[in-house]
Amino acid sequence: MNPSAEKRLAVALIVVVVVTLIYIVIDRSVDDHGVLGASTVASVAAITLALAKLRIIMREFMDVRHAPKILRTMTDALVIAMGIALLGTYLVGRAIA
Amino acid sequence: MSMIEETTGRAEAADDEVERFPGDPDMWLFVVVESLVFTSYFCIYLYSRTQHERAFLEAQSALTMSLGIVDTIVLLTSSWTIACCVQHTNARRYETARWFALATVGLGAVFFVLKVAEWAHLIRDGHTFTSSDFMQHFFFLTSIHAIHLIIGFVVLGVLVRQLSGPHLRAHRTIETCSTYWHTVDLFWVVIFALLYIVR
Amino acid sequence: MKSESGRLRGAKRELWLAWYVTVVFYGMYSVVFFGLSRTQPPGRPWLDPDQTVAWFADRHWGLLIGFGVIFVLGGFSAVALALITHSIRRMSVSPVFAYSYLILYAIAAIPGFMYICVAMTAGVMRPNRAPIAAQWLYDLGFLSFVGTMGVFLIGSLIWMIAVLIDDNRVFPKWFGYLNLVNALTEVVIAPSWIFQRGVLAYNGAIGFWVNVPVFGLYTGVFIYLLRDFIQREDFGTGPLPAPADVWRRARPAVEAVGA
Repeated sequence: MNPSAEKRLAVALIVVVVVTLIYIVIDRSVDDHGVLGASTVASVAAITLALAKLRIIMREFMDVRHAPKILRTMTDALVIAMGIALLGTYLVGRAIA
Repeated sequence: MSMIEETTGRAEAADDEVERFPGDPDMWLFVVVESLVFTSYFCIYLYSRTQHERAFLEAQSALTMSLGIVDTIVLLTSSWTIACCVQHTNARRYETARWFALATVGLGAVFFVLKVAEWAHLIRDGHTFTSSDFMQHFFFLTSIHAIHLIIGFVVLGVLVRQLSGPHLRAHRTIETCSTYWHTVDLFWVVIFALLYIVR
Repeated sequence: MKSESGRLRGAKRELWLAWYVTVVFYGMYSVVFFGLSRTQPPGRPWLDPDQTVAWFADRHWGLLIGFGVIFVLGGFSAVALALITHSIRRMSVSPVFAYSYLILYAIAAIPGFMYICVAMTAGVMRPNRAPIAAQWLYDLGFLSFVGTMGVFLIGSLIWMIAVLIDDNRVFPKWFGYLNLVNALTEVVIAPSWIFQRGVLAYNGAIGFWVNVPVFGLYTGVFIYLLRDFIQREDFGTGPLPAPADVWRRARPAVEAVGA
């Protein structure tokens, strides 16, 4: 494995771990002294960050970065479709609740 | 493709030059289809959540977010170790690849132990599959994910076996197994965000 | 004396007959369960006796006629099963896989397919049956239908492993993985009787509305793949020509780029 590929994988790991730690910040900002409170902003942010991590995992760890166009397009379409479904369900659900 | 063609693999090349399909296309079809099935489970959870906000928030407070963070970091690291395993396999450094594969198994085991401990703790406190709607979703999503994880151990077993004998080492099989393992991480990343963070 | 090609054509005609019977069987199954008897989508679990009596009354003729059709034509399921078993025998894997699949589905068909017809017909044939007895038959019918999913899930896993280790290219590998997708939805439904309500109950959003479309997709796919298999079948023991599957267009690019 060449050193730059090794380094790139390590950087990708650090990035997704940091993104994960951002969740702690979101969590703390929303709760009122330990009592959970509803928050559209926190939820949308949580889902979006998860989708970003999905893309990084697929592109870097699953090596989609070097894959033929069909796979790159398909995995991006998958992330977008999941995003639309999850965010759409959450926002529409909140609107009609 | 003959065994000889599979095992010679590709020579090391500059990072951005080579375009190659990572693993078996059929496994990728599984990734896409299973992701869509999971997405439907997630949407049902999110919709239920928005219709019963108070009840879900109350039940959700039984979860320990920091445990979820640790779980996530463990699985992200396992994705890293299996990716390193594949990289080393393609460079024909099979012994190093095998150690990374075993590390992946170890991290998977850590996740599983943490998960079982969390379930035991919740059940002891009176939170079960039937104690609330949120808990029904929580136990369902974490259980179905755990089943994927257990299947992942079998898949990693196939992968480690491929790396252990000089007559085996089919690169395509090793990559396909690693693709499956990544789905364990992919699904957990979303499950964690939905169960532990989404309000 | 028939020529070799004449014999081959004759043998294929028999497989095509079995295939058309399979299509008719699944079509009939869908019409009876979803349309006539309206046992799918399933009634709510944990109905009380009076609710159960009303459920039966609401479906009186649909149940009698629909399941009457199943009692007459339900044997077609054996032909469908035999065709799938033949396809597994054509693989390079041990016959143990085909025999396990055959035995499993043949046995599971009784509680998992026939029994609900018996229980529901018994429930509806006497409108003045005691409500508590009607409730019992209702529970028994749905539990036998739903609870046997565990058996079918093992069958999916057997088929999956056979497809993945097969060298004769009877089915494309992605179908092996689709068996896993199907099996995982069946895991979900097997313990569903624990839930009186909610998404995991056997009539729930997950228990029924996600899992049944997945099963429907899976069934449609394997009916298509059986057709493809029969087209390529040469009645030998070696590899068949490559399947006409969706990845075939991508595969030359995959092969060219290399492993």
